[in-house]
Amino acid sequence: MTAPAEIAVERHGGTLVAHVTGEVDMTNASHVRDQLLDSVPNDALGLVIDLNECRYLDSAGIEVIFDLARRLRRRRQELRIVVPPGSPLTRVLELTEVGTAAPIHETVDSAVAG
Amino acid sequence: MLRRPSHRQRDELRALASRQAAMADIGRRALASDDLDAILRDAVDAARAELRTDYASVLELTSDGRSLHVRATAGFPDDMLGGVLRADAEELSRIALDRDEPLAIGDFSSEPDFEPSAVQRELGVTSALVAPIGVPGRHYGVLGAYAREPRVYDTEDVNFIRALASTIGLAAERSRHKSRVRDSEARFRELADTTPALMWMTDLDAHVTFVNEGWLRFTGRRLDEELGDTFGLSAHPDDRAELLTRWRHAFRRREELRFEYRLMHAPTGTYRWVLEVGMPRFAEGEFAGYVGTTTDIHERRSMEEALRESEAGFRDLADSAPVMIWTTDTRGLVTFVNEGWMRFTGTTLAEELGSSWALGVHPEDVEKMLDSWHTSLEAREVWEYEYRLMSHTGEYRWIVDRGVPRYEGGSFVGYVGAAVDIHERMLMQQQLREVYEIEHTIAETLQRSLLPERLPQIEGLQLVPRYLPAGHGAAIGGDWYDALERMDGRVALIVGDVVGHGLRAAATMGQLRNAFRAYGMIESSPAEVMARVNRLVTSGEDAMATVLYLVLDRETGEVTFSAAGHPPPLLLASDGARFLDGGRSMPIGAADPAVFREASGVVPPGSTLLLYTDGLVERRGVPLEDSLEGLAEAAGEADDDLDKLCDRVLGAVLRQREPSDDVALLAVRPSSVSAEALRLSLPAEPESLALLRRRLERFLHAAGADELESYEIMLTVCEAAGNAIEHAYGPGDASFDVEAALVAGELVASVRDSGHWRDRRGEHRGRGIKIIMGLMDDVNIESQNGGTLVTMRRRLAHARAA
Repeated sequence: MTAPAEIAVERHGGTLVAHVTGEVDMTNASHVRDQLLDSVPNDALGLVIDLNECRYLDSAGIEVIFDLARRLRRRRQELRIVVPPGSPLTRVLELTEVGTAAPIHETVDSAVAG
Repeated sequence: MLRRPSHRQRDELRALASRQAAMADIGRRALASDDLDAILRDAVDAARAELRTDYASVLELTSDGRSLHVRATAGFPDDMLGGVLRADAEELSRIALDRDEPLAIGDFSSEPDFEPSAVQRELGVTSALVAPIGVPGRHYGVLGAYAREPRVYDTEDVNFIRALASTIGLAAERSRHKSRVRDSEARFRELADTTPALMWMTDLDAHVTFVNEGWLRFTGRRLDEELGDTFGLSAHPDDRAELLTRWRHAFRRREELRFEYRLMHAPTGTYRWVLEVGMPRFAEGEFAGYVGTTTDIHERRSMEEALRESEAGFRDLADSAPVMIWTTDTRGLVTFVNEGWMRFTGTTLAEELGSSWALGVHPEDVEKMLDSWHTSLEAREVWEYEYRLMSHTGEYRWIVDRGVPRYEGGSFVGYVGAAVDIHERMLMQQQLREVYEIEHTIAETLQRSLLPERLPQIEGLQLVPRYLPAGHGAAIGGDWYDALERMDGRVALIVGDVVGHGLRAAATMGQLRNAFRAYGMIESSPAEVMARVNRLVTSGEDAMATVLYLVLDRETGEVTFSAAGHPPPLLLASDGARFLDGGRSMPIGAADPAVFREASGVVPPGSTLLLYTDGLVERRGVPLEDSLEGLAEAAGEADDDLDKLCDRVLGAVLRQREPSDDVALLAVRPSSVSAEALRLSLPAEPESLALLRRRLERFLHAAGADELESYEIMLTVCEAAGNAIEHAYGPGDASFDVEAALVAGELVASVRDSGHWRDRRGEHRGRGIKIIMGLMDDVNIESQNGGTLVTMRRRLAHARAA
């Protein structure tokens, strides 16, 4: 059985916000990546991945962020990540230097504003 | 949290539902049809379609076990069907049979230990999934699915082929059995038509459905006059009441009926003494009525009566009687046998006198017969024994011999006895016994294959199941219990009872159990699980079941449950016993659509839940409320030992009686989580990770880790586990071990696998290692015994004292 993850996408002006709920691990990482990629049309300015409700993200999930950032950069679109203060995910994102590929914000609003 | 399933999950659900439907379909056909070949064809088609392979086949093991007969194929060239393969050339099939386990080969080219057979190689087979059919010692053969592409067969695939093989096993067993019963019934009819004995049969309402020619000649009545509710009609008015009382008593208890009474003999217009012997008969494991013989014992009875009156009367009778009569002296030596005896044995008087008469007794019977004779003789008691005696044709025939002590002027002078030929009756009994034994074997096979032999070990939960089969007859019930660990960490507990008995009920039980396992994994709401299973059941054949389905959160003790026509679970807490009410719904299969309700409650720490089927509480003439109250009283406070609790409850409620219906009982107690150590062995597949996370969370929480520590340690261990899984040797076979312990405030975790960590190819793996190194105080990776052991340490801020 795969890990349960749910993605809800909404539009804030030219930016798309994807709320990732649940857990991301090696059983569903590629599926999560495909869904996120499919949700970004070519004319969008960028994608914000909101990890507020993400309970688990392992190295396969982090790989998804790097991969997305690369692909979006080619399309001249920017990827930003939202992790609330005090989230258990924070230290892992720091360790793996996710910030070098996608800026990390504390709120969705600040991420959308860029 | 309510989530819509993702696309991939929806696909998985769709695949599962499709397999479930295919299984139900084949199960139904296996029950409805006698055409084994058609069932096998359906099964291989389903295997190929559901497992998405190129080929599938059923190979039947020949009786010498050396060859495999190709019974059904899908995708294979037509000329393979009907062929015979050498068992030792079909390596996979042989190993699956030896291990009695399904065997998966994802890619033959990377499995040095296994090779495809010549036929498979010719067809380009690269991967295979095979499962044995039937139970060890009675294996029917092998079901196999083969693909040209390398494949990963997951747990669901293995479960599917296992379930399919078990259904085929059932159909094969049933077909074997049917032909044997048919033979034996044909033999019975033939015997009934040619024998001079009187024979009869009833249905399960005790109505007469068959009497033979002999019976009609004796009673002088027509067949249509004898059929129906006619039992005892031709008995002597003085004997009839007692005959009927004994008959009803035996019938209710499914016991043998044995009674001597007077029956109207039409040719002479008088009543003659007969011995009635009736035995219960079974069809497909269900009680079907009685079958019996009636033996004329008039001469023997008359002789005994005559003897009581006068010696002279006895001599007259003995000379003219068509039965076999004998007398002995005080030492038991034969002093006289009548004409009838000599006509039977073809011997002379001189040959029979003394102790030489025993020479004609069948060698297998003689020793026990003489024992019994000498015991009776010493005690001067009435002696009766059934044995085989050689007749004048050289054939051994069964007789019943009965001797009574004789006294003259108050002193013992010896025995007088009479023997009656009961050969036909004994033959019939033997055949019935044979049929009964086949029924019994099938019932056992079924129960072995359908009931969980033991429940899965679920961490943090003590589970003790009990199953008591009903007291009388071969009828097996459709009760079951089950437990499964869901991916969200909650545990589903199921107790159910299929309405009806026999092979059909047991097979339905097997299907329901599978359906609950499948939907129990997918659906989190008990009411939704019930609705799903209900839809499956109502779309198929007529079947109904009462079920209690309960989901327990081991952390919080919260339970959510639905009771479909089923009595409520009993909670034994420190403040007494009470039933968890609510969630009452219609039985499964009663209506569609149906609304299923669910209710919730809490199991406080240290308390116990009792789940049971209504065989435990149902008593004829006792209102259910009273029975439930009796159960609550009997359970009282929970013992420390769940085994003792189960024994005590069963003992008190059933009071040494055999239950009149099957009883399933499941005692459940959440145990406190060990804060000292966690030890796990999991299959090396990505699907294991979610379960590992739940276990680690529970353990770390108990060990006193705070939320952040808990998350980071869990993540680290799972990263190490992810490495073990990626480097696993092959599908299905490999596993990895995880240990975690709290040692002096320090958390020590280790992950051990049997593969080698490859070079850090790609950034992704490099990040995994970065996480492991960064989040732990100390990490050690070493190769040992052809595997890799990662040991990780981290000091906890507020470790609980171990």
